[in-house]
Amino acid sequence: MDFTLSNEQRSWQMTARKFAEEEIRPISVERDEISDPRETFDWEIIKKGSRLGFRTMAVPKEWGGHGTDFVTQALVMTELAKADSAISKTFSQCWKWSHLIAATCTDEQKRRFLQPFLEDDTYLLGKGISEPSAGSDNRLPPADDPKAGLKLRAERHGDEWILNGEKCFIANASVGKLFFIDARTDPNVPLKQGTTMFLVPRDTPGFRIGKVFNKSGWRFYQNGEMIFENARVPHANVVGPVNGSDMKTQQAGDRTGGDLFGDLELAANALGVCDDACGMALRLARTKKQGGRLLFEQQVVQLKLNRMHLLTEALRSFVMRVAWEHDHKLHSANPGLCMNFSTDVIQEVSELNLELHADAGVMEPRADKLVRDAIIWSHLAGDSVQRMKTTRRLAK
Amino acid sequence: MYNLQLSPEQLEIRDTVRDFVTEEVKPLALRPERLEARTRPLLSDVLDKASQLGLRTLALSEDAGGAGVDTLTSCIVTEELALGDPDVAAVLARTSTLAHALFDRLMTPEQTARFLPPFLADDRYHLALAQLEPDRDAALGIHYHRPETSEADVKTTAVRAGDAWVINGVKDRVANAPLAGLFAVEVNSGPGGTSMLLVPRDAAGLSVRESDHSRHFHHGVCGELVFTDCQVPAENLLGPEREDALGGADAGRDAPLDQALNLGIGRAAYEAALAYAQLRVQGGRRIIEHQAIGTKLAEIAVRLEVARTVIWQAAWACDHPEAFADRSLPDLPLTRIAKVYASEAIYHATKDAAECFGAMGVMRDMPLQKYVHDALVCLHAGASNSDAKLRIAEALAGYRRPARSAALAAE
Repeated sequence: MDFTLSNEQRSWQMTARKFAEEEIRPISVERDEISDPRETFDWEIIKKGSRLGFRTMAVPKEWGGHGTDFVTQALVMTELAKADSAISKTFSQCWKWSHLIAATCTDEQKRRFLQPFLEDDTYLLGKGISEPSAGSDNRLPPADDPKAGLKLRAERHGDEWILNGEKCFIANASVGKLFFIDARTDPNVPLKQGTTMFLVPRDTPGFRIGKVFNKSGWRFYQNGEMIFENARVPHANVVGPVNGSDMKTQQAGDRTGGDLFGDLELAANALGVCDDACGMALRLARTKKQGGRLLFEQQVVQLKLNRMHLLTEALRSFVMRVAWEHDHKLHSANPGLCMNFSTDVIQEVSELNLELHADAGVMEPRADKLVRDAIIWSHLAGDSVQRMKTTRRLAK
Repeated sequence: MYNLQLSPEQLEIRDTVRDFVTEEVKPLALRPERLEARTRPLLSDVLDKASQLGLRTLALSEDAGGAGVDTLTSCIVTEELALGDPDVAAVLARTSTLAHALFDRLMTPEQTARFLPPFLADDRYHLALAQLEPDRDAALGIHYHRPETSEADVKTTAVRAGDAWVINGVKDRVANAPLAGLFAVEVNSGPGGTSMLLVPRDAAGLSVRESDHSRHFHHGVCGELVFTDCQVPAENLLGPEREDALGGADAGRDAPLDQALNLGIGRAAYEAALAYAQLRVQGGRRIIEHQAIGTKLAEIAVRLEVARTVIWQAAWACDHPEAFADRSLPDLPLTRIAKVYASEAIYHATKDAAECFGAMGVMRDMPLQKYVHDALVCLHAGASNSDAKLRIAEALAGYRRPARSAALAAE
């Protein structure tokens, strides 16, 4: 075993740390406190980060990207999330779908979409799966129930597909330029056999963005509604085979990029938040006094700091192991387990940090923000469906 | 005898308040602007109507013009109100409790004659107790099981000048301050002693500022009082001089109204999750029919029921102090025990309830995130649970801190 980072990995980590501390942290709480969810976003930070490679770092070198490995990606996500979890997620959301493009798009599609993505600092990516009546049913489709799962309909008319329906809670919806959209191309069979993935550019006729959701955490990160009213998508934009979207399973080839990356992504992001919480708590304990003595001298404070750090370091070990396993194409339930674990860790650690501040009579808006950001993990990474889905990988 | 059968009167009060909350509070409390935890305006009209129902004067004796209910009934009412709106519940609980303490127990007949009639006549006349001060370290913390006292001197001073007291200083985190017509203020009235003074809101030299809701762990409204050569008549002294009439030796057995309020928040989240779980279909069936969600709902119910038991026990103990003397109840700080258990259990319960809603659980235009936020506020309101556990441990050990004067003499 060798935990040493290569010079290149170390260099990405240091660049990310500097950018996060100097550029992201100063705007983090300020953006979080803006009440209109459309206004929390800041294009300047995206452009600055993009120029440093943080938008395109997952695109393979042969297609003009940086071709970073998963270990590097995990390191960078953690560093960025340490300054702001939601801003880190906005960048890594683009990696998630550039992995998908690399893994599944034809060369012609890559030319049409990867090229502009690489050239434009404001070109963000997203993917639309969830719908108002289909959340868990997409993640864990009930066997043989064609009615369950997403309903967005796509019908073929010559060289075009006509899309009708709605998506909700779609990340980057209000700021993205290109989306992967899962739609039903055969409504009479179960989800897995009747769904096709489409590349849908922002300016597609008949496609528009509805409201932007007003979340209690991750406020910078834009989640919106998508509305398709006879939206016309060329057949050339079908990703993979028709009826073969196959919803995040690996049967269509190596989908480690688009799929299992998402598990690593949430765990690595959580690690950054935990690092931040540990740092805040330790600083508080070593500067704030009670009864004339530093908080750090108290046993109850030491025990809370111990718990925060042991959970955080355990998560770090797991995250780096999963990243390394991705790089070595070792497939297991570990990414899912790590993601589920990160939910427990980020929530407990951020809650302990808030508790230490509140106990000391310190109202720290950032401690409150970390707790609200951490609660996002419940439905993305740690609800019972996410946990059972991981368990089922164990039985495969 | 410990008896959990509510009296017909208690049941009637509960049903009346429950109807009031369903009809008058919930429709307003669930409006989008009230769901924004950071900037929610107080529902003044609801407070007016609640006062007309008698909820502002609930614990005040019948002789004095109130309903004269016991602590358990007050808890039941507070839980019901908090189910609709914790801020309304907090304001009413505070005024009702103080009305009983001040008018029924502590004021002289002369003081009651001056202050009770205007209080009864005005639905918007609330009461407040001003004890905390900026940066005053009241935590036990490092002083656990050690003779040093954690109580620093009260910095707000009151000096006798002829027929008046002249008050100078600052109080903060004063619950109900923006609404109060009368304050009971803890002052330093000379070497080695604090006293309580009654200060009407319109006293010259008193200014009241509302605190930013989002910057405090606090339900209801609170504010800061600044006294600048504020004069009140000598006869506004509450109780004997140099005796903290309202603070006293805190045995951790005060009325568990904050915990009842917390329980109301937990129940709101639970009722929402239970209704949704019977409606939402995923995996081909209503989600309550899935083991995962069924178990989660059961855990929420377990937490809430155990919390209610411990809160009601503490409330019943307030109404039957003799039960400590005859050893029916353990000699423990039961309200403090209820606070630690209930606040942690209910915070977990609201998070679990929100999780049943998936992404909707974190949306600001939905109530679930509000319940989680409100339970988090209860978790960190007032003295911390870490501190409460240390005080419970001192009680378990039978530790008695030497009296303050003795501690000073020993130095």
